[in-house]
Amino acid sequence: MIRDFEYFAPKTLKEALTLLDKYQDEAKVIAGGQSLLILMRQGLVAPKYLIDIKGISELNYIKSDAKEGLKIGALTTHRTVEKSPMMRNGFSVLAEIERNVASIQTRNWGTVGGELCHGDPAEDPAPALITLNATLKMASLKGERTMAVEDFTLDYFETALKPGELLTEIQVPVVPPHTGTAYTKFTVIENDLPTVGAAVSIILGSGDDICQDVRVALSASAPIPMRAKQAEAVLRGKKITDALLKEAGEVASTEAEPLSDIYASEEYRRELIKVLVKRMGKEALARAKKA
Amino acid sequence: MSKYSVIGTRVHRVDGPEKVTGNAKYTFDLVLPGMLYGKVLRSPHPHAKILKIDTRKAKRLIGVKAVITGKDTLGRKQGIWRRFPELCDEEILCREKVRYIGDPVAAVAAIDEDTAEEALDLIEVEYEPLPAVFDPLEAIKEEAPQVHDGVELNINVTRHIEWGDVDEAFKKCDHIREDQYKLCSQAHVCMETHDAVVSYDYGGKMTVWTSTQSSYYIQRLMADMTGLREGDIRVIKPTTGGGFGSKFELDSAQFCAAILSMKLCKPVKIVLNREEEFTATKRRTPMYYFLKLGAKKDGTLLAKEVRVITEGGAYTAMGATALYLTGFFSSFPYKYPNYRFDGYRAYTNTATTSAMRGFGAPQSTFVGESQLDMMAEDLGIDPIEIRRKNGMTPNYEVPGQAYIQSCGLHQCLDKIDAHIKERGKLPPNHGIGVSAYGFMSGGIFNWFDTPYAFSAAIVRINIDGKVDLFTGACEIGQGSDTTLSMICAEELGVKLEDIRIHAADTGICPVDLGAWGSRTTLMNGNAVKMAAADAKRQLLEFAAAKMGPNIVYDFDIKDQWIHLADRPERGISYFDIVKEAIRGKDGETIIGRGHYTPHRKGMISPAYSFGVQAAEVAVDPETGRYKLVNVTTAHESGTVINPVGIEGQLEGAIMMAGGYGYCEDQPMDEGKILNPSIADYKLIRSLDMPETEILEIDTYEPEGPFGAKEAGEGLTNPTAGAIGNAVYKAVGVRINDLPITPEKVLRALKEKQKKSK
Repeated sequence: MIRDFEYFAPKTLKEALTLLDKYQDEAKVIAGGQSLLILMRQGLVAPKYLIDIKGISELNYIKSDAKEGLKIGALTTHRTVEKSPMMRNGFSVLAEIERNVASIQTRNWGTVGGELCHGDPAEDPAPALITLNATLKMASLKGERTMAVEDFTLDYFETALKPGELLTEIQVPVVPPHTGTAYTKFTVIENDLPTVGAAVSIILGSGDDICQDVRVALSASAPIPMRAKQAEAVLRGKKITDALLKEAGEVASTEAEPLSDIYASEEYRRELIKVLVKRMGKEALARAKKA
Repeated sequence: MSKYSVIGTRVHRVDGPEKVTGNAKYTFDLVLPGMLYGKVLRSPHPHAKILKIDTRKAKRLIGVKAVITGKDTLGRKQGIWRRFPELCDEEILCREKVRYIGDPVAAVAAIDEDTAEEALDLIEVEYEPLPAVFDPLEAIKEEAPQVHDGVELNINVTRHIEWGDVDEAFKKCDHIREDQYKLCSQAHVCMETHDAVVSYDYGGKMTVWTSTQSSYYIQRLMADMTGLREGDIRVIKPTTGGGFGSKFELDSAQFCAAILSMKLCKPVKIVLNREEEFTATKRRTPMYYFLKLGAKKDGTLLAKEVRVITEGGAYTAMGATALYLTGFFSSFPYKYPNYRFDGYRAYTNTATTSAMRGFGAPQSTFVGESQLDMMAEDLGIDPIEIRRKNGMTPNYEVPGQAYIQSCGLHQCLDKIDAHIKERGKLPPNHGIGVSAYGFMSGGIFNWFDTPYAFSAAIVRINIDGKVDLFTGACEIGQGSDTTLSMICAEELGVKLEDIRIHAADTGICPVDLGAWGSRTTLMNGNAVKMAAADAKRQLLEFAAAKMGPNIVYDFDIKDQWIHLADRPERGISYFDIVKEAIRGKDGETIIGRGHYTPHRKGMISPAYSFGVQAAEVAVDPETGRYKLVNVTTAHESGTVINPVGIEGQLEGAIMMAGGYGYCEDQPMDEGKILNPSIADYKLIRSLDMPETEILEIDTYEPEGPFGAKEAGEGLTNPTAGAIGNAVYKAVGVRINDLPITPEKVLRALKEKQKKSK
């Protein structure tokens, strides 16, 4: 049963921030509601005030800029990202991911910002955004600040958002030349939440096959969407071979902190991390060579 | 030209337009003036004594109209095995003791759902938790807690089936295999959860609208439990969103709504939420299986010994039948000269296990077909060949058990063999597994103790030629309204659109036992055919009198044309004769009656269907993840009434049985089901569905209407076994506990690698 709450539907960011400032912890923000409504129905979340930001059109946009990269308004739906012609030049991985997020109905309504703010480590876009070095813009009545996606989730269902603060924009910097990024997730049934997900982004030097930089990030492998820095170290500065990718997978599997639950045991998740990191490394490498 | 005008044509469902437009009204949609909303309070303990229930606070909540507990009932226990009072063990509203997490202890009626739910929180129940037992192998130990007082070793039911001399036969075998299996639970996951609207009036009459597979069972059981006369209870089944075996027993929504309505003389509606649906309704029976199979070198099967211990859960329900049928179908579809089955159903403090599509046979088919493939491999015989060698044939008697008339198993094997050869050489890590199976066309057993015929129908012909078909058969999504309308139209010689079916309303329809055991097409179909023939005969009498042909001619009706059977051009319009016949009968409408109860057909079923399925999987050996690539089925169901209906049954069955084989399970912690939501309970969905194909087999069942037999549940039997055999073919590992999850496959692959090193 959903407990009674007072409902607000601000039409501007300013109105929303004013409401958030007023009600602070007693308020919960709802965008697409694809995660929150389930928690409310189960009685796990029972806010006194519900601030529905879905109608704030100024937060629903995708902008592409040759210098600054991609800017995605927090209220952009999964489906909009999936279908956007701006998801190219190194950003196409974001559209690929969205294609396998839940069902079309969910993608039509759920928002990318909402998913990030939900703070579930078993989510899709966060690892790819981390490997693309993305940052998040947050706003409150006091002003704005930005933060790396990597630092945004603090623990299970806990983010760095402060009371009164709203996520407004996802910023993905221009992807350097010779970069390849790939993400995949393991699911038992298609388009489910990941049992484990892995994103790898590789930047090659111009004219050689040496890995200039690399980022590896995992979902459902730790309390937060985590960056596998030790696995990155295996690859950075080297000419990437299959053996090296296998090693990176093994290292990622060791540094991850997966749990056992009804979907998979900890051991199985570690096995999956090995395989997924290796495979995505290989895919990212192939893409980098083509880029 | 086909000898039939309606049978065998591709027909859209008669209830299709209402359903696809969203206009069909389910119990869930019903609203009556003054209706109240009920909710059920359930036990949080797997096993506990109820010391005290204080409802005072809940009653004081504004908007609450009544709160009931077991004390407001007659204190009777019910069950569907009515011939055996000791197996009627479920109170529904517990008075002294709760036996699983979800057992109902109280219910509330209020002005809206939220108020009712709020009131539940105000009911104070004092429990004394008792030691509980969850696993059937633990439950049958001396020291295990007793789930029901006086039931020794918690053994609820035992079943024994035997023929031949098994021990002697094993001595003659060249090769014997012994294997063990563990079979998981499965939830029905009906689109419509259990629900009911019950209205009891000041005149002492009760009307129940409910999502059910048997309006008659609900009427009878409700009479048992409320003390009302059967005739004072009218049960109406509106459009129903699925049953799969979960909806032919009296449930908490129906019973609690009835008791509340009797207190208030107001309609009360109870709709179970999805969590209740997962935790507090019945489910598929988990089983431990111990199999011993003996064969000659040439693959001739000489003996089979089967021991099964099933997890009963808290109550008997239909679990006794699941136990018996898993034992009977463990011998299917092969001719074992010597066979022995010993089955035990143990009570546990878990949600009750009962009927679910296939009813014990998906379990027996998975274990039997897995073991048979291993036997074939041990002996160096092709899997199809060993099935050919031992497969049942027409006019075969299962010794002392059943008589099989039509049987197309060998045609099915031939077609599947050809299909596999056609697929040719498969890519690496692909494998095709086969699984052969059979199923019944309705049960003969009458543990319910009905004094009525198993099926009945009434056909009424109106002045405009329109036909009203009245039957107790329950359309739950399986297509029976369409099938029965087709049978009626064919027999009467009219068009499908001439038929209007009125079904599953005990107030106007004759009794039918309901939609379970794949009984409707054969049993109710026979009753409908007989009723239509009865009405037709009355028309033909008038036609004969009017046309006055030579006495040697027979009459028939086809496509609304009444004619001489051998001179179709000599005839008269059906519509004209209907008008004349009614006039001739002093204005009485024409009514035909039909009924059917199987006689002299053994103890189990009047007819059996057979089939063979081939499943192709593609395994990712690094993750254990596999995909169902193709599932091809040769299913012989006698005459096909509606090919579209069979295709729907097949696709639904692959989704359900594929899930059973691949991912569906109900993990528990101390009796608590851990995945009671559709997000957490993994079901195969459209994106996971393989390509499916149905291979036509031509058989005719003499006992069925127009030669038809089962085409519903049987299709659920083969898939898990076919998947298991396919995974083995693909990557060489066997998983003996369902579901065959990617994680288990990978673990087995790792173990295999270790061993080969």
